[in-house]
Amino acid sequence: MGWDRPYESRFLSVDPAAQRFRVNRRCFADATVFEEEKRKILYRSWLYLCHESEVANRNDFLVREILDKELLVTRDAAGEVNVFYNTCTHRGALLCRSKAGNRKAFGCPYHGWTFSAAGRVLTRNADTGYRADADADGAYSLKRVPRLEKRAGFYFINFDAEAVSLDEFLGDAGERIDILDEHSTGGLEVIGYHEYSISGNYKMMCENSYDGYHLMPTHGSYFTYQKAMLEGLPQRALGGFALSLTNGHATVETDIVSGRPIAQWLPVWGAAAHDLIEAKKLELIERLGEKRAHQLGQTNRLMVIFPNTVMNDQQSIQIRSVLPVGHDKMITRAWLLGPRNEDPELRRVRLEGALSFLGPGGFATPDDIEMLELCQRGYNMGGVEWNDISKGFEAGEETARGTSFWNNELHLRAYWTQYDKMMSAS
Amino acid sequence: MEFPAALLTRLQVEDFIYREAALLDSWNIEAWLALFAEDSAYEVTPPGVEDPDRISRQSAYFLIGDDRKRLGHRVARLGQPDAHVESPRSKVRHVYSNVIIAEDDADEVRAYANFITFRTKRGTIEYFGRIRFVLARLDGSFLIRNKRVMMDIDALVPQGKVSILL
Repeated sequence: MGWDRPYESRFLSVDPAAQRFRVNRRCFADATVFEEEKRKILYRSWLYLCHESEVANRNDFLVREILDKELLVTRDAAGEVNVFYNTCTHRGALLCRSKAGNRKAFGCPYHGWTFSAAGRVLTRNADTGYRADADADGAYSLKRVPRLEKRAGFYFINFDAEAVSLDEFLGDAGERIDILDEHSTGGLEVIGYHEYSISGNYKMMCENSYDGYHLMPTHGSYFTYQKAMLEGLPQRALGGFALSLTNGHATVETDIVSGRPIAQWLPVWGAAAHDLIEAKKLELIERLGEKRAHQLGQTNRLMVIFPNTVMNDQQSIQIRSVLPVGHDKMITRAWLLGPRNEDPELRRVRLEGALSFLGPGGFATPDDIEMLELCQRGYNMGGVEWNDISKGFEAGEETARGTSFWNNELHLRAYWTQYDKMMSAS
Repeated sequence: MEFPAALLTRLQVEDFIYREAALLDSWNIEAWLALFAEDSAYEVTPPGVEDPDRISRQSAYFLIGDDRKRLGHRVARLGQPDAHVESPRSKVRHVYSNVIIAEDDADEVRAYANFITFRTKRGTIEYFGRIRFVLARLDGSFLIRNKRVMMDIDALVPQGKVSILL
């Protein structure tokens, strides 16, 4: 859709003639809007669950909290991945109390019911009192989350049984998830994760993740450090574009300026890493062709899957699940991924690159967190209604179009256009 | 009665790390950096791991894994006005206790201390757990070879970030 005439809603104020696109701050500061948002967006959209490597083997499991649900993810004896509400179907106690591991059965500590990794009742810990066929229809099986689907090794869930398929929801974003899986022929694995809270609305973290505008003012002190790291390398301009995809998803893609274990060596990483990185670069070209290898290795891709998943490929692959805890508080879980069985030297430089910039102890993320918390305080005080995301806005703007990401907030408008569409539906 | 050598080492280590903490609490961070040896590291392990004493930042995703060079950049960054999260600076107070000497060689001491560190800026948050110090003996005092901070938390909730030096 192109914005070609003035539009007003509870959430947006759009005036193409004045090149003005504004978002109402109640989207960040109003608890009742958040409740409505849970109903209309969060419980009806595909939300990131986990990567397949986290439950790689039969009987692997993990427990993951998403929104107000605590979920049990298992790979059962048949190799199928399942996602259950982590509550005993008898009287409700949390069933699995470990965060992750490998287990054939899950026993409830309260009355002793036990379930298989596929969710079936194995024993009720009672010789008498139940009909022999009490569970013949599976009525007591662990309750499944309505929808579980995967794309290129990344599992998503949806609490809406009637939702469109994951592939349809992802639309043009799906192909960009496929690229992540092409880093190696052996697939990816989760190396580790960071989990941290922020006193701010979760949508700000999504905006921040692919916002190029804030980089210099917010991260000046990081760039001072980066300049020292890049000493001896030819200077590159940070070119790139923003692209609106489908259903509110969007990506910002720029040329790389820093080091990457698949394509760009840094002198500080030492000579041993140099040859490995050059060899990896050639392997990508051989396997994928020049064009695809360039896209994979020589561009940073920052993608937000509406409404709360961030899939970044920069110093390393990083997936963020941004989970609201009320309207003014969020928890971010950020997993670092790399090729399975990566050379230890490449793994070392991957971790080094990731640690310096990303993460709550890095040189950049703490300043982002500070900005989001300052914004939330600004919203909470009330009295000022609008946020502005007009940069580069043009009348008749098609959302599916690339442009210089420095000069355009097209990706943010794509997010908020989708938000408004879902929230304004009756 | 002879003064036990083990006790003397503990007193030396305590004296050193209390002064180390005092430099951090007063934001005298350049002087703090000077306590680190050339081949040293400052590390904060990922919360929730089984054995934070044994993992390596070469293969695990730490919260912080600085060699001496990057620690220098970290300290320099914290001194700049555009290190926004610490500008203006927070108030910081380190409390060390339960100091245990694990190894005491002629040239190196490995010690553990429990810690709580308070950070105040728009509210107060607490970091707590255990710290491992590997200290090189030098002229009756020490240089830090390794300071590894191992927090007793499952996630940075509610701490949110590690913007100060722990």
